[in-house]
Amino acid sequence: MTDETKKGLSMTRRGVLGTAATGAIAATAGVGSTMLGATQAKAAGKFALEPGELDEYYGFWSSGQTGELRILGVPSMRELMRVPVFNRCSATGWGQTNESLKILTENLLPETKEFLAANGKVTYDNGDLHHPHMSFTDGTYDGRFLFMNDKANTRVARVRCDVMKCDKIIEIPNAHDIHGLRPQKYPRTGYVFANGEHEAPLVNDGKILDDPSQYVNIFTAIDGDTMEIAWQVIVSGNLDNTDCDYQGNYAFSTSYNSEMGVNLSEMTENETDHVVVFDLKAIEAAVEAGNYQELKGVKVVDGRKDSGLNVTKYIPIPNSPHGVNACPDKKHIMINGKLSPTVSVIDVTKLPDVFGGADPRSAIVAEPQLGLGPLHTAFDNRGNAYTTLFLDSQVVKWDIAKAIEAYGGADVDPIVDKVDVQYQPGHNSTSMGETAEADGKWLISMNKFSKDRFLNVGPLKPENEQLIDISGDKMKVVHDGPTFAEPHDSIIVHRSKVTPAETWQRNDPTWADARAQAEADGVDLDDYQDTIIRDGNKVRVYMSSQAPSFSIEQFTVKQGDEVTVIVTNLDDIDDLTHGFCMANFGVAMEIGPQATSSVTFVAERPGVHWYYCQWFCHALHMEMRGRMLVEPRNG
Amino acid sequence: MKRFLSFCLLFLSAVSLHAAEWDLPVRAGAISETLAQAADGDTLRLGPGTYTETVVLDKPVILDGQGHATIDGQGQGSVITVTADGVTVKGVTVIGSGSSHDGIDSGIQLKKTAYAPQILNNVVLGNLYGIDIHGAKDALVAGNRIEGRLDHRMNDRGNGVYVWNAPGAIVQGNDIRYGRDGIFVNSSRKNIFRDNIFRELRFAVHFMYANGSTVSDNISIGNDLGYAIMFTKNVEVIGNVSIDDREHGIAFNYTNSSDIRDNYVRSAQQKCAFLYNSHKNDFSGNWFESCDIGIHFTGSDKNRIVGNSFVANRTQVKLVTTKWYEWSEDGEGNYYSDNAAYDVNGDGIADAPYRPNDSMDHVLWTQPSAKLLLGSPAVQLVRWSQSAFPALLPGGVIDSHPLMTPVTPDASGKVSHDG
Repeated sequence: MTDETKKGLSMTRRGVLGTAATGAIAATAGVGSTMLGATQAKAAGKFALEPGELDEYYGFWSSGQTGELRILGVPSMRELMRVPVFNRCSATGWGQTNESLKILTENLLPETKEFLAANGKVTYDNGDLHHPHMSFTDGTYDGRFLFMNDKANTRVARVRCDVMKCDKIIEIPNAHDIHGLRPQKYPRTGYVFANGEHEAPLVNDGKILDDPSQYVNIFTAIDGDTMEIAWQVIVSGNLDNTDCDYQGNYAFSTSYNSEMGVNLSEMTENETDHVVVFDLKAIEAAVEAGNYQELKGVKVVDGRKDSGLNVTKYIPIPNSPHGVNACPDKKHIMINGKLSPTVSVIDVTKLPDVFGGADPRSAIVAEPQLGLGPLHTAFDNRGNAYTTLFLDSQVVKWDIAKAIEAYGGADVDPIVDKVDVQYQPGHNSTSMGETAEADGKWLISMNKFSKDRFLNVGPLKPENEQLIDISGDKMKVVHDGPTFAEPHDSIIVHRSKVTPAETWQRNDPTWADARAQAEADGVDLDDYQDTIIRDGNKVRVYMSSQAPSFSIEQFTVKQGDEVTVIVTNLDDIDDLTHGFCMANFGVAMEIGPQATSSVTFVAERPGVHWYYCQWFCHALHMEMRGRMLVEPRNG
Repeated sequence: MKRFLSFCLLFLSAVSLHAAEWDLPVRAGAISETLAQAADGDTLRLGPGTYTETVVLDKPVILDGQGHATIDGQGQGSVITVTADGVTVKGVTVIGSGSSHDGIDSGIQLKKTAYAPQILNNVVLGNLYGIDIHGAKDALVAGNRIEGRLDHRMNDRGNGVYVWNAPGAIVQGNDIRYGRDGIFVNSSRKNIFRDNIFRELRFAVHFMYANGSTVSDNISIGNDLGYAIMFTKNVEVIGNVSIDDREHGIAFNYTNSSDIRDNYVRSAQQKCAFLYNSHKNDFSGNWFESCDIGIHFTGSDKNRIVGNSFVANRTQVKLVTTKWYEWSEDGEGNYYSDNAAYDVNGDGIADAPYRPNDSMDHVLWTQPSAKLLLGSPAVQLVRWSQSAFPALLPGGVIDSHPLMTPVTPDASGKVSHDG
């Protein structure tokens, strides 16, 4: 067998794996097609980067039930960082350090704190983070913040893009189980919109239980600058995904349970569900005019169908719609049909008429039939939309203008191309595609199952994020990327939009509490420090770390003392993170270059205990350790 | 009053001591007025002509159009709504429903409170939805002719038969065309869909979450898609026909532990059969002919795939996997029209295993004359090379005992053959 034939055979199998196209054997046999020699359409650029090459885009990824934010490089799909948010992180001490606990607990509702205390906790240690989205200015990313939801425990978090750390987490009162989340695009963020997905009584104190007729859902607008709740709206039906226009006038939320059913049959009873359109200025006016009730400190406006306030409109959409996606043309909003094989296209310029009394369906200007299970739509800069088809396990590329023509009666087919993905895609995202600066180079298909695409790692398998080159006429899957549980959504942000710091600034507010305590204790937190403060049974240990040593090599406390260790990393070199791990105390944290972190524990274990640096820092990293000597209570 | 005199009241002791038969004048409102007076078990016989009214059958009666009566809802809501147990509607021509998808405006709507309605031999024309089995248990919808609408926008149309949460429903022997889907089923179970014919629809049968149901002996011609069975287990899809459907003949998506047998699919433009993420099914005795792809099989495990015939599809088997699958059992596999095999011992089983998802089928489909070359040295060389040099990436179908002759399912007799 010649080398050429062997090559042909391997090409064949690749062809089978990716598409049905097979041409190599035909060429070898001397008959048939010429696919082997087909020239490839122009590519968006290479995706397999050389060592040391940097990606063109940041990918900000959710992680679902892992509860963290992840940063990937796109197109290489290399995972660059994990940012703990709703989860407890062993590496960084998130959920254990005093700084992170402040963020995690300061905006919990009083009843939640009581509930947690009854369960022996001070904060939740799980989350379900679906949708990470960056703050906008004038319709595009501004690199300030990322916002994200927690469906598990009804929270919204913010991550600072300068240090890529979470700085705010708020619990959303009155709502239940935040799902869809999107920031306002224009003029800026501004609002962060958040959907309460699950239905419950407005005052959920147990007085109303099995009476679904009294259940409601809540749409929340959060002030992205202060992370305080601006207002809420009670709606009819439940709320799934959300997005907003490019004019700052409207937000949109899908509802798959317009029935307000409590089981699967009831939720699927209606032939049509709806998308709720929120008139932001009308809601602001209603709040201004006092047309709200105040619940748990939040102004709640009634936007149900029978409210009479005209702050919402309900546009009927066939069969359990899911994703909402605003098109970079600043004009069209895509409502993805899920159980209907269609995407309904709203023209935002028709919405003033709808609020003026026109038929809500008059805002629909296209409803192309695309395939089975359309869930989410992404965009390029050439007038095409890319919709995931969960049931068909494909991505369909379609021409928005043609879809509008077809709806108007023209005999045109808006479908441009379909590509198989492995397997069953949920969200998708294109490079800069959720902004007015969509550039049409890359598409990520976030597939819910990987099945046989990777080495088998046991019953629990990774998800599969596939990278698709969309720069040409035909979509081309170019890379499979496994991810751990369970990214839902991602955004692909050009690297020019984000400029993270190399080291922390000493005046960062993250450790403001530690700074205040240090000032009270007469300690300069910004310089070498090796001070131990004893305050009754409270002991505060201020130490600085500079590779390869902690400034304090040993300290002594009494069994039962409440010990707070405050570590300041005085190294100011890129990528020189220190750690502080107190062995056998379950205590460990990260201290970034020029950062301060603190942790508090009770020294209930007598004896000699070593603390050490658990983030590699130096050739003598192993030697970077010290002793905590705990005198027995009755010693 | 004269109008009451015009009602002819007959006592039929042979049927029931209490059941009465009412002959209704052809007049708007006559049905509702009579119904108000009728007793449980009575029969309302309609005259020849058109009754312009909407009807709510809220007691167990028989509404008999005798094949010559029309009820015209004049564009408002559902024309006939059944809310009571034990109602029969037969021989009525039903027209003029409203156009609201919110209300599921239908020719005949069977509500949750209606147990075991019988909807027989009606002609249901031009309504948004034909017959909506909306939660009515043990309904029988049989022998009806249902023609929907042909609005330009598919989503403006409704389904022929819409089944929601209606365990025990039987939909049988109906002739359904136009509109959106022939039978659309969502969140139901233990339904039987049998002997229906579907034409010029989006999907003939569109099925989501309807465990324990049967789809058998139906005919789908010229629809977007024949039978779409999704997110369902323990179904029987047996003896159905799909001819000239534009996308796929039969499509299964997360359909598990089901019997998919003896179906006959011909000339679907895309896939005769699409088996996606579907597991533990008995997939046997089916006929797949002249489609772009015979079967697209992916993400699916533990299926029994034997006794099927793959005849002249451009790609006989499309498989996306890195696993190996054996498609034979107890020495018998499937038939592949492009298998250039020998059967020296004449036992009907080819003497060599066959890997149907290699690339020869593509050649044969695009270049039918290449079939003459099947025994040629060049093709044999390629075949040999495939066995001698396993491909770089693993995975594929091996049929160790391919059949030498196809097995034609009985369902093929339901339709004419063009040779």
